[in-house]
Amino acid sequence: MLVAPYRVGVDIGGTFTDLVMVDARGAVRAFKAPSVPSDPTEGVLSAVRLAADSLGIDVQSFLSDTELFVHGSTIATNTLLEKKGAKVGLLVTEGFRDSLEIRRSIRENVWDHRRPFPEVLVPRYLRLPVTERIEHDGTVRIPFNPDSVAAAARVFAEEGVEAVAICLLHSYANPAHESAAKAELKRHLPDIWVTASSDIAPTIGEYERTSTTVANAYVSRRVVPYLERLAWRLATLGLPRKLLMIQSNGGAISIDEIGHAPASLVLSGPAAGVGSLKFFGQDTGSDHLISIEVGGTSCDVTLMQHGMVSMTDQIVVDGYHLNIPAVDIHTVGAGGGTIASVDRAGLLAAGPEGAGSTPGPACYGRGGERPTVTDAQLVLGRLKPGPYAGGVITLSLERAVEAIEAHVAKPLGLSVTDAAAGIIQLVEQNILHAVERASLEKGYNPRMFTLVAAGGAGPLHGPSTARLLGSASLYVPRLAGVFCAFGMCNSDLRHDYVRSWLKDLDNQADSRPDRLEGAFEEMQVEAIEVLAREGFTGSKALLKRAYDLRYFGQQWTVAVESSSTNPASIRAAFEQAYQRLFGYVQPSGAIEVVNLRLAAIGRLDALEVSKIPGDVREPVAQSRRPVWINKEVGFVDTPVYDGTVLTPRQQLIGPAIIEEATTTLVIGVRDKLTMTDAGNYHIDIAQGEAA
Amino acid sequence: MSTTLSTEYDPVLIAILQRQLDHISLQMGMIMIRTARSPIFSQSHDFSCFLSNARGETVAQADGLPIHSGSGGFAVRAVLRDFADRIEPEDVFILSDPYAAGGNHLPDWTLIRPVFVDGELMGFCSNRAHQSDIGGGAAGTYNAKATEIFHEGIRLPVLKLIEKGQLRDDLWRMLLLNSRCPDLLEGDLGAMIGSTRIGAERLADIIAQHGVKKGNAYLEAVLDYGERRMRQAILELPNGTWEASDISDTDCFELVDIETRVKLIVDEDMITFDFTGTSPQIKGFKNSGIANTHSAVYCALSAFLDPAIPHNEGAYRCVKIIAPEGTVVNALPPAPMTMNTVYPAIDIMNACWGALAQADPDRACAGWGKSVFGISSGKKASGGVFVLYHWHGSSGGGAVKGRDGFPTSSHQMTLGGMFIPNVETYEQSYPIRVHRYEMRCDTGGAGQYRGGTGVDYVVDVLVGGEHLLRGEGARKQTGAGVNGGQWGAKGSIKAFDLATGEELACPPYGVEEVEPFHLVIEASAGGGWGHPHERDSEAVLRDVRDGVVSRHAALQTYGVEVSEDGKSVRSTEARRQASGIQPYVH
Repeated sequence: MLVAPYRVGVDIGGTFTDLVMVDARGAVRAFKAPSVPSDPTEGVLSAVRLAADSLGIDVQSFLSDTELFVHGSTIATNTLLEKKGAKVGLLVTEGFRDSLEIRRSIRENVWDHRRPFPEVLVPRYLRLPVTERIEHDGTVRIPFNPDSVAAAARVFAEEGVEAVAICLLHSYANPAHESAAKAELKRHLPDIWVTASSDIAPTIGEYERTSTTVANAYVSRRVVPYLERLAWRLATLGLPRKLLMIQSNGGAISIDEIGHAPASLVLSGPAAGVGSLKFFGQDTGSDHLISIEVGGTSCDVTLMQHGMVSMTDQIVVDGYHLNIPAVDIHTVGAGGGTIASVDRAGLLAAGPEGAGSTPGPACYGRGGERPTVTDAQLVLGRLKPGPYAGGVITLSLERAVEAIEAHVAKPLGLSVTDAAAGIIQLVEQNILHAVERASLEKGYNPRMFTLVAAGGAGPLHGPSTARLLGSASLYVPRLAGVFCAFGMCNSDLRHDYVRSWLKDLDNQADSRPDRLEGAFEEMQVEAIEVLAREGFTGSKALLKRAYDLRYFGQQWTVAVESSSTNPASIRAAFEQAYQRLFGYVQPSGAIEVVNLRLAAIGRLDALEVSKIPGDVREPVAQSRRPVWINKEVGFVDTPVYDGTVLTPRQQLIGPAIIEEATTTLVIGVRDKLTMTDAGNYHIDIAQGEAA
Repeated sequence: MSTTLSTEYDPVLIAILQRQLDHISLQMGMIMIRTARSPIFSQSHDFSCFLSNARGETVAQADGLPIHSGSGGFAVRAVLRDFADRIEPEDVFILSDPYAAGGNHLPDWTLIRPVFVDGELMGFCSNRAHQSDIGGGAAGTYNAKATEIFHEGIRLPVLKLIEKGQLRDDLWRMLLLNSRCPDLLEGDLGAMIGSTRIGAERLADIIAQHGVKKGNAYLEAVLDYGERRMRQAILELPNGTWEASDISDTDCFELVDIETRVKLIVDEDMITFDFTGTSPQIKGFKNSGIANTHSAVYCALSAFLDPAIPHNEGAYRCVKIIAPEGTVVNALPPAPMTMNTVYPAIDIMNACWGALAQADPDRACAGWGKSVFGISSGKKASGGVFVLYHWHGSSGGGAVKGRDGFPTSSHQMTLGGMFIPNVETYEQSYPIRVHRYEMRCDTGGAGQYRGGTGVDYVVDVLVGGEHLLRGEGARKQTGAGVNGGQWGAKGSIKAFDLATGEELACPPYGVEEVEPFHLVIEASAGGGWGHPHERDSEAVLRDVRDGVVSRHAALQTYGVEVSEDGKSVRSTEARRQASGIQPYVH
């Protein structure tokens, strides 16, 4: 029996819309409804109906009892990927029409010169000049000329432009001309959707700032109406509070505040994993976590240390650069559907190609001929043949063996088992490298972290990845398959502000403590207002200051959190972070303060780990089957447990297989599994000789 | 050659090792970018990181400029030659000289760190990076007046920079003393040292896991794999002999044709590039050395065939290069050669691409425009010396089948791999004011796939100092069209005294003392691929709407009549049926 009020998290994926509901005492239920790409609102409402049904009440009563409704959606990302955005017009400083198309000539793989740039989101004939010029120090050299905007407005109207982005040179130092251009444009085109770079990404670098602003305008056409429609539907159905959206920074925000910055939703969804990590940290007793979320096509890696998730200030979506504060998620093409192949010169590869959901792995029998990671898991007995997901798919061992035999084993002269094991080993190597990028390359020792394996395929790779990393423990949430929707129920509100500073830290005139303080306080005025509007004041409203710093001449900044405005303590904090990242400091190096950042956080009550009654009896295996455990022991007759009947504090020693509704766990030799208070899996990884 | 792997190796392990080696090289690069102090490293990525086996052969170079491909091997082998049995754990070597130490040109300093496992030398972990200043006759490493290598800066033979973990501070002081930007040099060398240390530790860990003997065998297997990939790719080319050349019109002092000529011979899975017939070495600093010539050929070949073939020296075992001594592709001392990683490398690439295009027209790569921009240097108000590359004057890229040329990109021999800075960052960092930075019209070589347009770049340099000129793409077209595609337009460079407006002389090469000045650059454009009449008429229309092709040129060159309002295609057929095309008519 669940108890109102409820928290609800809804995450829309490509195939399923996940809903997780948490009741007043912390009990959790999860639901999956089919997504409806043509109208995602429908998918959300079906999931809500499922939840209401499970409580035996109607949708209205359920929503009226919902105190928090948090939503994540890939709609912004998909708009970019599918090129279904608005027809955008761009206003730029006269003489600089082409930054967006030139892209600073950045290509991800330099050698791959035959691949064209991603399609430019605004064609040149809609990139129009504004007569004006601001210098790098913010002074005006050429005054703003409204006539140039009027001329552009005529073209935009004629061409049926739906949204306009404005990015003028050095607007991070002085936004006056952008504001003037925006007002002038609105005067001519009152109904058009307009976004200015100084509003959403006021940092130095015109290419990235333009790209961000254009992406913002581009996704607005689909995102803004969708959010409005969904909010309206939910409100009319009885939801008493405003719908909250998860942003790329992992925090929630009410849709009233997101309407002007829809691009900040590009990682909405995966970023919600932050809320899950906070909860898992409590449950597993460690605030140092690295999560691998492995799905059908990719693996997302996120790092949390001291309870804080690593952040970044730039993300790239399908080749488009966005300067948006975001959870630092490293993605690598390693999932269940990743295809294994042998090239003509005899080298085994796993990916980058994937089989997707159609045709899917060979063992699905839906026309996929090429072997995937899932096929290898089946051959190795980690997955069992037969129906899955309530009979939606049926795994055929025969097809898996055939595919691996033909495409990997034969060309390499290996047995099918060795070939399958090789595929797994290689894909785990790829996952390992992604984890190293998120940890070692940022100066964190992955051995000090608990690995969290989530996503449908994550728990299959968890123990061996933890072993490769040298991690002592692994944590697998029972709700591995609804990682993000669950996280939404445990998110704080968050709004990020940034101000360009570009001054010498040690220059008395430039970076005097009272000047820094003054600048932060200006930013705080708006932040406090926004939080108050959302109902967060006093101890529920938290402001966190940070600096983007670098040694003079460097291009890359290091973000340093500090409440101090004293240059000496800022330097000390910078040097500490720099030492961790790079292993040395320049003791007398001049430091440049590039940006001031402020995070305004509205604190929601965190979910408590509710202690489910435990049981210390030896768990009983439901069955046994031969499972390939590792190179040394090969196939072992392995006990198989039904995860749904395991209860807190029960323990077992590997090798073992645990089957859950949406995932399967492989426990290695001598690994020790303990069920946590919340009924999740904590595994102590056996180190030493290959286990 | 066997086509399957030898059974004594575990093929899965080889796949994993290949990825691990690439991963180490990329990690080293990441450390370089994030820790270096000079913009040439952190912004432009003018460096590469590579791993070698104990014989000095490059086994992995996943991070790096295309024009550094494979040439690191010459440097590591120079260490082995000069120090033989005096290479100890925790040593780090440094070198630069292209004649004496396997360097490519003097500004690129190479740091080489041996990797030991169980007391045995297993390989090397190195990086090569362009320093901000190394003394010599001009600030910023490019002395266009040089007629001997002695004018180009300090020459480093193979030196021990760190001896058994101990930095040689006498040597360190000497290096810093020879630079106009010792602070940048110091920071950048620190970044290089750190990056090789971490790379070496990781390589040692990986080899230690397998033990010395097996570890060695697997490094060999990785080279063998590269070799098989390359041989297979070469087998796909028809057997035959083709010739091509590229011509530069100056020796840096006078206008005179300098020809880089190559004969390409494909014989089953062997390929030969024979430069016999190439012009004798020249007075100016556009001579190539043997290491750089190898790199340029490798770069052209890998980019043409399949860049996914590992860039290790195993892959290049089946590539034979004949570079006669005393020519511009293998100059003898004391010829100056600092410019070799740019124009001479592009000349070599163009000759190679020209010959390869005849062997396999479908994969032909049109030429990228040669750049016309130079380097300004002077003193900042704050006192420090600055060296400013006018990257915004970069040229348009050449087209290939399936894509138009990039509008403006760093030099061809980097395949556009050195990214262009933001104007805002440049105006914050240097005493300049940019007036214009936009794509040009009717410049990109017409074709089914159009060449990159190049840009108009107009800038004031607000303080006096030196300006280095190197206007290779300014007098004639340099971005070759292929398969019926046209050549990209030439560029131009003009300079005016900022106070008086008086036009200043702009010789092809030179180092000029300047007062504050106004610089107007038209960047050269890339070549087109395929006949312009084959270009999709909608693509032509879009170019007209975008203002990068005029209505007039659309009709005359592409055979596409665009309506007067520039918004629709009126007709194509008649004009395209008529034979012949006209070059852009201005």
